[in-house]
Amino acid sequence: MDQLTSSLAPPRNLPKSTITVSPPDVAGSVTKRLSNELMTLMMSSSPGISAFPKSDSNLFEWVGTIEGPAGTIYAGLTFRISISFPANYPYVAPTLKFDSPCFHPNVDISGGAICLDILQDKWSAVYSVHTILLSLQSLLGEPNNASPLNSDAAALWDTPDAFRAQLMKLYRPPSDTSA
Amino acid sequence: MATTALRAQVAAKWQESFNRMNKGGSGISGLMTFSRAWEVATEFLRPKDISDPASLRQYNLVDIKNAFAAVNQARRLPVMLEVYMDDIRKHQYLITREVTTYMSHYEQLMDPEIIAKLVLRLVEWYDAWAPIPELGHTIRDAYTLTFQTHLFSILPPSFARGFKALCASTLPSVSTDSVVDARPHMWAAFETLGLFDRYEALIASVVYQHIESHVVKTCAGQWAEPVLPNLRDWMSKKVVKWMFSPYARGAKTMEDAALMLQGPGQRFDFHMSKTLCDLRTREIFSIIIDYPDSMGALQDLKECLQRVDQRAELVRTLRRANEMRLLHPGADTKDILTQYVSTIRCLRVIDPPGVLLFKVADPIRRYLRERPDTIRSIVASLVGDGESGDSLVDENEPIHPLQQPETEDYTDPNWEPEPIDAGPDFRANKPSDVISTLVSIYDSKDLFVKELQVLLAQRLLAVKDGNFEKERRNIEILKIRFGEAALQVCEVMLRDMTDSKRIDQHVQSQHASIMHPTIISRHFWPTLESSSIVMPGQFEKLQAQYAKEFSTFKPDKKLRWLPHLGTVHLELQLEDRKVVADVAPLEAAFIELFSEKNVWSLDNLIPRVGSVDRSSALKALATWLDLGVLKEDTENSFRLLEVAEDPTPGARPAISRPGATNFTKNPYLAAHRACAGIAPVTDDLPPASSIHQQQAEQMRVYWKFIEGMLTNLGSLSLDRIQAMLKLAPGYDRTIDQLASFMEAARREELVMTKDEMWRLNR
Repeated sequence: MDQLTSSLAPPRNLPKSTITVSPPDVAGSVTKRLSNELMTLMMSSSPGISAFPKSDSNLFEWVGTIEGPAGTIYAGLTFRISISFPANYPYVAPTLKFDSPCFHPNVDISGGAICLDILQDKWSAVYSVHTILLSLQSLLGEPNNASPLNSDAAALWDTPDAFRAQLMKLYRPPSDTSA
Repeated sequence: MATTALRAQVAAKWQESFNRMNKGGSGISGLMTFSRAWEVATEFLRPKDISDPASLRQYNLVDIKNAFAAVNQARRLPVMLEVYMDDIRKHQYLITREVTTYMSHYEQLMDPEIIAKLVLRLVEWYDAWAPIPELGHTIRDAYTLTFQTHLFSILPPSFARGFKALCASTLPSVSTDSVVDARPHMWAAFETLGLFDRYEALIASVVYQHIESHVVKTCAGQWAEPVLPNLRDWMSKKVVKWMFSPYARGAKTMEDAALMLQGPGQRFDFHMSKTLCDLRTREIFSIIIDYPDSMGALQDLKECLQRVDQRAELVRTLRRANEMRLLHPGADTKDILTQYVSTIRCLRVIDPPGVLLFKVADPIRRYLRERPDTIRSIVASLVGDGESGDSLVDENEPIHPLQQPETEDYTDPNWEPEPIDAGPDFRANKPSDVISTLVSIYDSKDLFVKELQVLLAQRLLAVKDGNFEKERRNIEILKIRFGEAALQVCEVMLRDMTDSKRIDQHVQSQHASIMHPTIISRHFWPTLESSSIVMPGQFEKLQAQYAKEFSTFKPDKKLRWLPHLGTVHLELQLEDRKVVADVAPLEAAFIELFSEKNVWSLDNLIPRVGSVDRSSALKALATWLDLGVLKEDTENSFRLLEVAEDPTPGARPAISRPGATNFTKNPYLAAHRACAGIAPVTDDLPPASSIHQQQAEQMRVYWKFIEGMLTNLGSLSLDRIQAMLKLAPGYDRTIDQLASFMEAARREELVMTKDEMWRLNR
């Protein structure tokens, strides 16, 4: 008996105490930053972009919505994206991907991965969800055809009718029950 | 064929019986004596018709006794009893006849006296047929049983009614003081006939009714003095006296009587308490209204409740009455609060531990919580607002700091458990501080402090003569209640008032101005209604000038004008007259514009003063119309009256009349002594937005969040929305509040709902 309890008790306690002390502090500041960003985003009335945490218990996973800007080929379409923040945000960029299929030169049509400089090497801690979403929205109208992720789309970009046809073929409006 | 043995046995038996009867007399002489005795005895016992005088005879009791003794010796008494009972049964028709006659008579006249006569007559029958006492209990009892059984079987149902009326007639009358003869012989008769035992419940009910009617008659609406002592007095003088005959019958001494009266007396006393308790319970709502003039009634109720367990009933009645008479939209919040405070005080009298109060107060508190102006009313009465006159707080009551609900101190040697009928969430609020109770309607006192600031802001801005002593005093009082820290903001507000006087003096000394602003610290004041009035002309210049002086005095601060809150003292120099007026800034701004040109249309006026809504613009212009300075020639077109025109009351001239308008000289407009940049407007709207408006403002923030989550997460249930709103800073609404908010949003077609799921209406 003695052996059992003595062998069980200490190892259980030690790692517990070391784990519980440090991460909440880090998580606390990240959570604070994220809820501030949420507040800013909610209060800014930028048309056509929006995002919200998936659940109230986890602030690190968000769902976003981007409407295609008027006057572009994507006008009238709505795309759902998912945003996941790393634990060391904002020092590391969040990961974004399209959940709705998006036919775009810089978007992977099957995986939804996005090729946007500020999400990779140009990331800076001063960016926020709001600025990312705005960049993403403008990327829709002005793709960077120099480094395409979807070469088919890049090829079709100069023929808007064909592009639009292909876009609409693949487009699925976001369903309502994603939650 | 009988055997010899049997024959011998029969013969022996016969011989034995014979010997017993003959008693060893010679021959059959013994037998003869017995038969004579038998005859005498049976003749005596035979029931007679007492209404027939012929059948009545006087007996020689000695003979009779001897005869019975003889029968007894021969052990023939049981047989004789059987014969006797048989005889009685045969003659019962006589009694039946008698009862029928009396009862039919009674049914015609409904006079209880007939019943009394019947009873006495029946006693005569009973006595006439009764056996002599020497025969012992057994025969007597058997006789009584037979007689009563028969009697009860023939009494018609109307007898019970008559009997009750008869009993009632013996009671002392409720209205008069005279004591009716209690008629002891009648009660003796009842006892003889066994009527008393049979109708005991009936008799008691007569007394109960009597007590009830007396209590209701003498005590209803009499709340000023305790009535219980008088009632007890009445009981002992009247009712107990009466009780001697029915209940203490057969008592030899006073002690015996007292002992016998104890049982029923307690029952009646209980009933009296219960009746009074019921009465007061019915009246409780009005009693509370009348507090403190109804102190007597409360004392009574307290005493009664200790004797009668009607607490649950009291709570039920009061709750129902409150629901019906108090907690509805027609009742003023002030009245509800007053009644609540009275309820607190009244129920504390009745039930010091506060269990009743807790149960009754709960619905009131819940209701008050839903009323938007509750806090305002409480706060107003806290500071003894003028219009609310009689403050809820008793002036004489010492001011206590707010009590925090304290946890129970089990180490206290005087600790007592919660009362037995306390609910699970009962909190003993021992202290009798009404304000603490009122403040505890809400979960936190922060709400109060916030509303207090709003109220203070209004009152400070309303002070014109610069005397803030009263406000200072109030704040000091409230500090004791709410604590120093909570009222720090109020303290700053007060300081602002005196500071702005000082600053103004300084600025004036540098550069005299006719403007005297009140300078307040934005962070510490509740949100004041903002307005986008731009003062035209000289007002603007005055403001700019003042602001310049101010910024040299206090370089780190900047003035933000709230021009709409001030008042302006104006002198208008018109061609034929001078108009002096104290007006709101908007009105001043408008009239200044008329110095530019004489005719303005409303649509041209509005952009010149920034943006105001049409209705307040019209209202401002109406002031000048009333003063006869402006005239509305056609709709929404206003003309300055350089020369006064005859008022055309009520009539709006349809066509513009050319007339005195063509003067080229502009009116000399002299705006002097613009009293303050901020000073109160006696307007319908309070200058400081109330808590309610602030809440609406907050809700707009939350709407953004709701919109955000519904955009991204699709349709959500109400629970989910409530949970997600935790992400919004400071969200503290209940799900019910959210539900009504969502419902409002649905009415505005912002959202739609399907299967309890909400989504945006797109």
